[in-house]
Order: sequence, then C-alpha cells, then structure tokens
Amino acid sequence: MKILPLALSVALIGATPAPYVVAADTTATSDERAARWKAIAQYIFGDRKIEPTDTLIKLDAPERAEDAALMPVTLTMPEKDKIKSVYLVIDDNPSPLAAHVSFGPAADPGSLQLRVRVDTYTNVHAVAETRDGRLFGTVAFVKASGGCSAPVASSDDEAMQGIGEMRMKFAEGAGPGKSMQATLMVRHPNFSGMQMNQLTRNYTPSRYIDKLSVSYGDRKIFDLDADISLSTNPVITFSFVPEGKGPLKVIASDTKNGRWEQSFDTTTTN
Amino acid sequence: MRAPIATAGKAAIILGIALLFAVASGGSTGDVPEPLGLWTGAMHGPTPKTLAGAAVVDFAAIEALLPGKPLLLDVGPAARKPEDFPSDRPWLPIHRSLPNAIWMPGAGAAPLAAAREDLFYRRIGELTHGDKAKPIVVFCRPDCWGGWNAGKRLVRKGYTSVSWFPAGIDGWQERRETAEVKPDADWIAEPAR
Repeated sequence: MKILPLALSVALIGATPAPYVVAADTTATSDERAARWKAIAQYIFGDRKIEPTDTLIKLDAPERAEDAALMPVTLTMPEKDKIKSVYLVIDDNPSPLAAHVSFGPAADPGSLQLRVRVDTYTNVHAVAETRDGRLFGTVAFVKASGGCSAPVASSDDEAMQGIGEMRMKFAEGAGPGKSMQATLMVRHPNFSGMQMNQLTRNYTPSRYIDKLSVSYGDRKIFDLDADISLSTNPVITFSFVPEGKGPLKVIASDTKNGRWEQSFDTTTTN
Repeated sequence: MRAPIATAGKAAIILGIALLFAVASGGSTGDVPEPLGLWTGAMHGPTPKTLAGAAVVDFAAIEALLPGKPLLLDVGPAARKPEDFPSDRPWLPIHRSLPNAIWMPGAGAAPLAAAREDLFYRRIGELTHGDKAKPIVVFCRPDCWGGWNAGKRLVRKGYTSVSWFPAGIDGWQERRETAEVKPDADWIAEPAR
C-alpha cells in the first residue's frame, strides 16, 4: 500500500489527475485510462486541479460487483465540515458523471451511499469539493459489466408500476441534536435508453431521475444531479441533522416531466 | 427381494431418460438448444453451448489462436445516447474490446436488412482477403445472441475456421487488458436500414 501514494504523487505532477496503478494494467492501458480520466475531468472540472487524497474522501465499492446494474458505492468524508459537494464518476460508462451531490446546511456530509450501473471494467473516481473551493479525488477499479443495458424487468409496464413511490428508513439510535442516518428508496425504472424491451425488441426510451432534492423543514440536506448511471429503483443512504422543525421532504423529478414529492416524519418509519 | 430390484430398475429407467435428454440438448439439462437458423428472439439471454460448423472457444483457446492472427470480430452493441440527455453533461461513450478487434456494432442482429447483411459479408470478405479458411473469432458479451448469430452467418457463408467466444469481452478482461476500439468505419458509414 505504500507504493500507491508515491505512484499517485508521481503521476500527479503537472496537476493531471491519474488513476492508481492497477495490478492487471499494462502500461499502455494504464496510459489510456489516465488519458480518459483527464478528458472527463477536463469536461467536468475544466482547468481546476484535483489533488489526491487519502483522508478527505474515501470510495468503497466491491472489487467485483455481483450485479453490474446494482453496484453499491459508499463515499466517506471524515472531515465532513469541510465538504461542499461530491462527484461520482464511472470513467468508462458512456455518461461518466454518475452523480453530483451538493450538501446543504441540514446535511451531515460524513457519508453517502448509492447504487449505480457499471458498463464495463472501469476506474471509478470520487471527487470532493471543499467549502474553500478545492477538489480532492480518489479512485477504485471495479470489475462489473453490462449494467447499463441490463433489462429492468420482464416488461416495461411492470417496470413502470408504482413510479415515483418513495420509502424512507431511519437508522435507530440517533439522539436529539445528533445526526440521523436515513435510506431513501424511490420506485423508478430509470430507463437508460440502452435497455431492449425483451418482448418487442425495441429499445425502451430513456426516462430517468435527473434531480432529487431532500430537505429538513426549510433547510436543505442535499441536491442530487443524476443520470442513467443510477440504478433502477434508486436507493440513497445519507445523514442529516434534524434540528428545528421537520418534516423530511423529498422532491424527485425525471426527464419525462415526472415530479414526485413526499414528506416523512422522522419519528416514524414509513 | 422383488421390491428393491423394481426400484433399482425404475431408477435405471429414469437415469436413462435423463441421459437421453442430456445428449439431445448437447449438454447438461437446462441448456438452450441451437435454433435452426438465426436467433430472432431477445438478444440478451442464455445461449447454446454449441454452434454447428464453428468451434466454441474459451480464453485459453483464444490465446492459442492469437499467434495465427485471426480476425477478431466484435459485434457488441454501441452505447445509445438517451434522447433527453442534457447538452451540458459529458456523453463520452467508449468501447473496450480485445486489442485489434474489428468492431461492427449490431452485426449479430436478426433479422438484419438485406443491404446490411450484404455489407457485413462484403466487409468480412475484405478483412479476410477472400480467404474462407481465415480464422475468425466472433464475440460480444456473455448471454449475447449477437455473437452466436454472427458466427452462424459466417458458417452459412462458407467460412471454415469460425470460432465463437461466448465469454466475450468479459472473459477477456477478466485476464487481460482491453483496448479502446472504434466502430469499423465502413460498417457504420452506411446508415442502418
């Protein structure tokens, strides 16, 4: 493990974000992956420098996903008071920017978990933006493939059932004034446009959640910008500080003008 | 003493029937039989263990074939941009495959418009320099009928050294690095009909 920071710092000379050296990589492929990340980072962050970090953001993903359409990713931000937003980038997905989460005053940005689709064996980057405007990145290599085109259900009608329905689960044990962990589940097929209807053999048109906003009372917890990389029936685990009056409110919208709003009482589990 | 014998006989008959089915389906029970022609059902799903007229190869066999410079033919699908994808978000599709593979996205679809099928055969003819004995390896992803269909098309056309690699890109990237490949320029130059 001592090699990694060294390899990274060497690779980062010139302010070019680069992936860790992956064991299976040949040099040529490693260069190719580094070039890919550089192009993506340029697109998302422009000329802003991305500094490597072992402490500001950590990325946990299974090295080998059981289901490429439902890969859990956990982001941990131990120095949470410094964090303004986080980006999740799945390098080799056709749409690499999977999610951008901006935290509000009611957030506890210490951790965030979501489920994503992975199209092929790829580097995954997590980038934290601090309140003073700096960017810090980390990377992991994941082995999963086919997640973007895997069929959602046996039929589109079945996949559309209950669209927009939400459930919220609260972790137990949070005291007054302390942060509380919650898991939001939204029923939505999140059609990527790359899934073939198994009956008609036509591609199902894309329809996915692109905005999700969660607040406590009138204070924002987070805004999520997402796209086709988010799994069917998105599940997001986050933490917030339930100060003042609730309730916890979720507003979700999708690319076909769907809009759903639901409130949750933090004292009961829906 | 009669009962145990009867039971044993019954078991033997059941076993015999089971073996018969196993042989008929070309492998263990639950296998998918080869369709008579091209597969026109859903492209994603379990595929047969065999392809008449072609070899079915695993990673080790691919490695053994590589020194003979086979035509590596990838028929995996191309990424489709969502119709409502915002213009300010990065859309950067990349296709990783076996190094030096020729990528003809969708060439395993069935039915395929006659003009497209003609183009497919023309391109293969060019890439093999008219040598029907040239080794060709067809593949896409696991559980993809596209690779099977493309292999079937080649066998039907008289190619004699066709190998189908069902594990495809996943089977390769499990052990070796992939390389970015662009779609075959001639294959995508003519619009799909």
